[in-house]
Amino acid sequence: MNKKSKYLFYTFLTLLFLLVTEGVYLNSTKVISGESLAKKVAFVKISQLPDLAISTEATFVRHRSLGTVFSIYKDDGDLREYFPSTYAISHSHIINKKAIKIDNEK
Amino acid sequence: MKNKINIYLIEYAINAILRQKYKSFFVTTVFTLLTFLLTSVFFITNSIKHELDATVDALPQIIVQKIKAGRHYDIDADILDNLLEIAGVSDAVARVWGYYYFENAGVNFSVVGVDQFENQYKESFNKIVKKFDFDKLEADSSMVVGVGVKQIMLENYYTKYFNFIKPDGTLKKVTLAGVFDAQTSLESNDMIVMPKEIVREIFDIEEGKVTDIVVKVANPKEITMIASKIKQMYPDTRIVTSEDLKVSYQNIFDYKSGVFLALFIVSLFTFFIIIYDKSSGLSSEEKREIGILKAIGWKIDDVLKEKFYESFIISFFAYIFGVISAFAFVYIFQAPILRNIFVGYSQLKTTFELPFAFDVQTLFLVFFLSVPIYIAATIIPSWKVATLEADEVIR
Repeated sequence: MNKKSKYLFYTFLTLLFLLVTEGVYLNSTKVISGESLAKKVAFVKISQLPDLAISTEATFVRHRSLGTVFSIYKDDGDLREYFPSTYAISHSHIINKKAIKIDNEK
Repeated sequence: MKNKINIYLIEYAINAILRQKYKSFFVTTVFTLLTFLLTSVFFITNSIKHELDATVDALPQIIVQKIKAGRHYDIDADILDNLLEIAGVSDAVARVWGYYYFENAGVNFSVVGVDQFENQYKESFNKIVKKFDFDKLEADSSMVVGVGVKQIMLENYYTKYFNFIKPDGTLKKVTLAGVFDAQTSLESNDMIVMPKEIVREIFDIEEGKVTDIVVKVANPKEITMIASKIKQMYPDTRIVTSEDLKVSYQNIFDYKSGVFLALFIVSLFTFFIIIYDKSSGLSSEEKREIGILKAIGWKIDDVLKEKFYESFIISFFAYIFGVISAFAFVYIFQAPILRNIFVGYSQLKTTFELPFAFDVQTLFLVFFLSVPIYIAATIIPSWKVATLEADEVIR
């Protein structure tokens, strides 16, 4: 192994070491702490409301998950995809493209 | 194994990279940037999902809402007793809550009502609000607000109380009793919690009506069955179960990271096409190099191996470096600029820290989207040249 190959080998080794060290560091300092998690859960138990306060500008996206999976818009049972409804959460993809043929008009 | 990895070919590949330092530097930089961008976006999405999943089990098991003419309406509180009679239902709580638009600042507050006698709240309040007397909440007509709400109120010179404008135009003065712990700001930033009676007054919700009803089920396996029973009893209701909430959380940010992924794939493939195009029109010097190598006895196999090492060194280095930078950018520097994609346009901005959530899938996804494709884009043109006769290439 010549000098350049050794350098390359050590470079990769350093990078991998850096990656692992960074991972360990982040895992020990940046994960949600037990105390913080307990506080978050305590708050959710009080409010009993889903979703995060990161899109608060419109009432229909604030607690988006309060609609069913099939309702795009919290206040509307429609299934269409349009901007505000899918701003944060994608619309339901489990829609029957074609309804089963049942004779409803008897 | 020793026979398989030819150290001399690796040395040759390093020399080849160093010979074309500017090209190699440029390719590595672009590659690192692309990997960095994609992994950063995925890391941010993962963190927010992780944050949501952390509290999903504390959410109600069944929520019953009244739907009229396709819109959400207040529901009769009387049905609470009927719901409690369903076998398997252990508790049902009527909720009063809504959104209050504060015109001065152009922001929406979520106002939630709690009952003083519901003792389960007491412990939770003590955990997240400092120096706070829960029993005085109703007596003093006061409220507890999120950090963001407090900030907006301060900006509008409300330090001790806030004047809510009722639907009839009169004011309702509510004293500020406390602020939720900043660690809950992702959940509580725009929230105001106050006694139910005051919420009723502010929103003019008549007695006997509530916003929705939360149902607790003793056995979680019965949730679906009880939800369908409620739906049968009250066909005009919309039932949201905890399972629906989980599915909704699973869907979260698909749209945004999807749009980003689509844009990214376009740029990634443009990059590969440039590499492929550049390599397939190999410069006469590079062609001559391959020709000479063949003339001195290198096999096609050797040429391809050397090209493989060359491209692997560049792409793997760029990938690892990109991932390391993305980790640092997202979790140590908290993703400046990029995280704004996921945060709304509201004036009521949340200050929050992205929690670290390690996801191997993301790393594999980005790896397979980038490294093998780059290697292929480099090897294929070289293979085309290497299969030609040596004298033909040199000439």
